[in-house]
Amino acid sequence: MQQHRIVFDDLEIGEIAVELDDQEPQTVIAWALETFGDRVAVVTALQADGMAVLDMAYRIRPDVRVITVDTGRLPQATYDYLAAVQERYKEARWEILHPDAVEVEAMTRRHGPDLFYASVPLRLVCCHIRKVRPLVRALEGLDAWFTGLRRDQWASRAAIRKVELDHDHGGIVKVNPLADWTEDEVWDYLREHNVPYNPLYDQGYTSIGCDPCTRPIQPGEDHRAGRWWWELNAPKECGIHCPIETGGFEHEAEAILKEAAELHR
Amino acid sequence: MAQSSPPNLRAEEPSWDLVLRRNSIERLKQERFPLDVVEELPELIARGYEAVPEEDIVRLYWWGIAHDKPKVGTFMVRLKVPGGLLTPAQLRALGAISLRYGRNYGELTTRQSIQLHWVRMEKLPEVLDAVAAAGLTTVGAEGDTVRNITSCPVNGINRDELFDVRPVIEAAARFFWGNRAYSNLPRKHKFTISACPDQCNAPEIHDIALVGVVQDGTPGFAVRVGGGLSATPRISRDLGVFVPVEEAVPVLQAITDVWQHHLRYRMSRAKARIKFLVDDYGPDGVRALVEERLGRRLADGAAPAPRGASDHLGIHPQKQDGLVYVGFPVPSGRLTGAQMQALADVVETVGGDIRFTREQNFIVGNVPEDRLPWLLEQVAALGFPHDRHKLFGTSTACTSHEFCNYSVSETKGKLDEIVEVLADRFGPAVEGLTVYVDGCPHACAHHWVGAIGLQGTTVPTPTGKIEAYDVSLRGGLGPGAAIGRPLLRRVPTHEVTEVLIRLVGAWLEERERREDDDYTFRAFCDERSDEELQRIALEAPAAEEPRDVAVVRIPGPLLEFTGGIDHLEVQPGTVRDVLAVVAQRFPKLVANLLTEEGEVAPAFLVYLNDDDIRGLGGLDAPLRAGDELSVLMAMSGG
Repeated sequence: MQQHRIVFDDLEIGEIAVELDDQEPQTVIAWALETFGDRVAVVTALQADGMAVLDMAYRIRPDVRVITVDTGRLPQATYDYLAAVQERYKEARWEILHPDAVEVEAMTRRHGPDLFYASVPLRLVCCHIRKVRPLVRALEGLDAWFTGLRRDQWASRAAIRKVELDHDHGGIVKVNPLADWTEDEVWDYLREHNVPYNPLYDQGYTSIGCDPCTRPIQPGEDHRAGRWWWELNAPKECGIHCPIETGGFEHEAEAILKEAAELHR
Repeated sequence: MAQSSPPNLRAEEPSWDLVLRRNSIERLKQERFPLDVVEELPELIARGYEAVPEEDIVRLYWWGIAHDKPKVGTFMVRLKVPGGLLTPAQLRALGAISLRYGRNYGELTTRQSIQLHWVRMEKLPEVLDAVAAAGLTTVGAEGDTVRNITSCPVNGINRDELFDVRPVIEAAARFFWGNRAYSNLPRKHKFTISACPDQCNAPEIHDIALVGVVQDGTPGFAVRVGGGLSATPRISRDLGVFVPVEEAVPVLQAITDVWQHHLRYRMSRAKARIKFLVDDYGPDGVRALVEERLGRRLADGAAPAPRGASDHLGIHPQKQDGLVYVGFPVPSGRLTGAQMQALADVVETVGGDIRFTREQNFIVGNVPEDRLPWLLEQVAALGFPHDRHKLFGTSTACTSHEFCNYSVSETKGKLDEIVEVLADRFGPAVEGLTVYVDGCPHACAHHWVGAIGLQGTTVPTPTGKIEAYDVSLRGGLGPGAAIGRPLLRRVPTHEVTEVLIRLVGAWLEERERREDDDYTFRAFCDERSDEELQRIALEAPAAEEPRDVAVVRIPGPLLEFTGGIDHLEVQPGTVRDVLAVVAQRFPKLVANLLTEEGEVAPAFLVYLNDDDIRGLGGLDAPLRAGDELSVLMAMSGG
């Protein structure tokens, strides 16, 4: 039941990116929704940036597809919040992904449930199985996806385009409507449109992921203190923000796991 | 919708306030001038790698320093080598740096330079000192600067050159490099300056190209602007002017200033290169802006067409009697520090010099004819025979995903494989073909302008994603320069070489049929429709068997033994045979899976499709084409 795929090449999407570069996020989102129809989805962990994208897309097309991953280890507050968000955006077509039960069971049987404390490679294995692999499987069914990436989140990736091909995920189109927004603009948008946000932000969290692996930071503390704070010699990707959306996470994980495998030998 | 709306040039020029709000890198550059990071290096090192903010890592770009992958504290260090020209002593020094700090590794680049990897942060000051002591620099090798200035690699010795441009390159390098007024440009900025009649230096894809001409007896340059690659490739446009040699640097300065002071091109790094100024204003409009800035008219002129094509490989007599130069193909541009040192010794012995080329090779210049046999023998002994198949020399690959955080594929290894197979199969017929392989759209290896351009991507399969390539055809530099089109998408990496064999084979058949040795691969591609090329490339000849492989799936907890590879294609056979093959690639995996007696360890279950192999004859169960073998962790302890 393979639907007709909507495919662009780098040169086509490169020129479209130039056209869209100084357009408002809503214009970029409208272009993608019109171009890809049911073959595009908002893929989000429901953090602030993703919520802004979700809200904008919903206003253009209420039955927009929304994909999020329940890793199985999210904070209770996030579960409660997820239910509230689904209620608020109830016309959206929600797809809550779960990790493969066989993989999770095999992993925890072998390494225990809290393997992420044991080593960087094991933490990466956990991220892979609980979050990355479900997401990647979902992306395989899409021709495009929306992210909440912003240029000012990653000094080393400040040249991201509003639309680009995602060569980490089969060359589908990655749509970054908020590319040139600042964090303040995102929060202004959320307030102005009364968009719900994860209550953990109010407790000092700056990045919200799985319960055991994120915590609030103290004023003055580095953002890195909020995630995987126990790790030494972890890859230094983009501060704490190393989401799958940049491709950076997978690149790091592949390299580290390869190195670990070589050390074992 | 591409290029549908004309640029609104009457729109108000953005203010600095707006630029700084919209562009975080512009903010960074204003707040903390990137070049100054070198003064702060000792302090950054004292704080420790973990504590260095990413913004300071970005500022290090301005000194040619960038993260290797994974980002755990080793760096790439990229040199600047004006015109690609190096003394033996300089090459020896680079070899020593590579051996001492860079794991005995180095890569020649398409900007006629060289980059090292694996340098630890705390060693960066020592490395920068050693580079400076060799009379070289890394300043502006990355960042929003004037990058390495490229040229024809055989300046000063080329019989055909119109005049020697080395003084112009030196003057431009002296003026622009490290100059604070030209180190906060909207983005990177690439010059090429040459008087090679073949224009081997790719003026088509440079931000500014000074193309040597002699007009009314005066040596000077035509000027092309706005070329570049990445996902918005452009062939540079002719400004229609003539610039005498002595005005070259002021004109480079004026063109650069027109762009860098136009705040529109600082709003977004996606639209910051000078090619977008040329898109917006056209060459005549840009010329008018430049003349306004200079306060005078420029003489009319025209960029000449390239005479032919030259890769400068092989042995060539120089303009100086009794001397020759030799271009040596370097596979994928890789050489070790030890090779650099030994090569430096050999070259010094004959009184020669070294020249790096755009296609990632080196040339030894100023070789006395009578020393040539000795030199060839010595350099061959180092691993670089001058008569290696030329395809190794006319092919390039980017640094690959081993080091680069953008790349999604292993380009250098793939290129080696492709070139070996094509050279072996087609022999001299494929000399002169260009195969350029990149791991991302940035196109460091210029894949948009290769006769064959490959760009890494991935393709999902039922058992996970695998590496793949988009194949571009109809690209080229020189006469008929053009950006290639990605006609074949997502060709799985293990099929790429076969695809190229079919295309090249079909071209050579046609060439033979026509009895025309000048019939190029490009002409073959230009004459055919996309569909026809796709059919040739993807349709296996009838005689060829369909791919008959089985798949082995590896579960998450065992990925640590496979470097994250979650499946593997294998030839059919018994489970035992298949595991023996897997063991060759991942010994640790199979060592865990099987007991010393060679049986499946109690901790694991092995499934053939949906059935436990214990019910199918155990390790003797047959695995047929299309079958899937999965390893699972036994749920009952072990």
